[in-house]
Amino acid sequence: MSTDRYEQTLLTEQLEVALEELARASGLMPQEIVELVEYGVFQPVAGSAEAASMSTWRFSARTITLGRRARRLKADFDLNLSGLALALTYLERIEELEAELERLRCQMLD
Amino acid sequence: MKYKDYYRILGVERSANEEVIKKAYRKLARKYHPDVSKEKDAEEKFKEVSEAYEVLKDADKRKAYDTMGFYQPGQEFRPPPDWEQQFRGGGAQDMEDLDLFELLSGLGIGRGGFRARGGGAGLRMPGQDYEVTAHLNVEDVARGTELEVPMTVSEVSGDGQLHRTTRTVKVRIPKGATQGQRLRVPGKGGAGHGGGPDGDLYVNIELKPHDLFRVTGHDLYLEVPVAPWEAALGAEVQIPTLDGRVSVKVPAASRAGQKLRVRGKGLPRPGGGEGDLYAVLQIVTPSVLSEREKELYRELQQASSFNPRGHFG
Repeated sequence: MSTDRYEQTLLTEQLEVALEELARASGLMPQEIVELVEYGVFQPVAGSAEAASMSTWRFSARTITLGRRARRLKADFDLNLSGLALALTYLERIEELEAELERLRCQMLD
Repeated sequence: MKYKDYYRILGVERSANEEVIKKAYRKLARKYHPDVSKEKDAEEKFKEVSEAYEVLKDADKRKAYDTMGFYQPGQEFRPPPDWEQQFRGGGAQDMEDLDLFELLSGLGIGRGGFRARGGGAGLRMPGQDYEVTAHLNVEDVARGTELEVPMTVSEVSGDGQLHRTTRTVKVRIPKGATQGQRLRVPGKGGAGHGGGPDGDLYVNIELKPHDLFRVTGHDLYLEVPVAPWEAALGAEVQIPTLDGRVSVKVPAASRAGQKLRVRGKGLPRPGGGEGDLYAVLQIVTPSVLSEREKELYRELQQASSFNPRGHFG
């Protein structure tokens, strides 16, 4: 399933967007996205993660949310891309842990 | 126009130099950045802080701001009469419904303020994206729902003047949404300039706490109290779901905290299918026992060889 920018959509794992659309929606430069893919922060869902095949890259629509956050962090903290990649990796990790914590709390119903 | 004290927001002196302002901003950004912060009202605070920094770090904007004079935060004010002439190249407009920050950020575009944006220079600029948070009921996201999002936006009217107006955007939250997801509504952000596309509206979905259900992803958790004898002997109990009651079987010799899965009674998933509902058993004892109940418990105590603390040795 794929989306163009004219329909109202939930940005979920199930939808896919191309590199240009990710760049437009997030405000990141395509080159910055390529570098963040190289850092392993963004992962194309289909095709190879090699920059040579970037024209075939598809990203889950949730990556738009991550991309917008990346652009904000980069601008607001004046980060370079390696610092940004590190911050994003930690934030993602914290979110996974928070989700896990919430799931365990639900089970214990504290 | 309402005054904002950018120096006070950053906690610096009016005479502070660029370096001091940058340091103050960095410290506050770390504290309040909504992507990082757990502080209450982080988003609001960060917006103030970044506005203040945006103006004070730019020598021209800072000068324009300082020349407006100093007032109390929130105080209604008008810049001095020659301010317009000096910083916007003339053309007084009604300043009542203007936002201080928007007025100042327009200055960077060039003399003549906002008029230059739509002008013959052909400066093509996409509209700004907006982000809002919608607080929704669990029942509403389960069915899908419509939402009216009120937004205060700045629009350039036909005569090139900037105005603040409130408009309402109708948004459909489709089935399948849950906590923390984002909905993109194309073209409902700020208007583009010079033929640039309109911005998009992003709606962050936050679920309001529910009296009965807790939500994690698309699964629901429900605390189900059972009597000691129901847990011991097993029972058929009625529990609520988002669409009516269902009957679940509590197996004999159930433990507190045991989860019973009710398949497909969670929230609908965006790709089709549904999450599950988990009934989490809580064993509750009556706070007041009748004489007869006490008697029966004593009898059970006598008859049972069960030692719950046997593993202590």
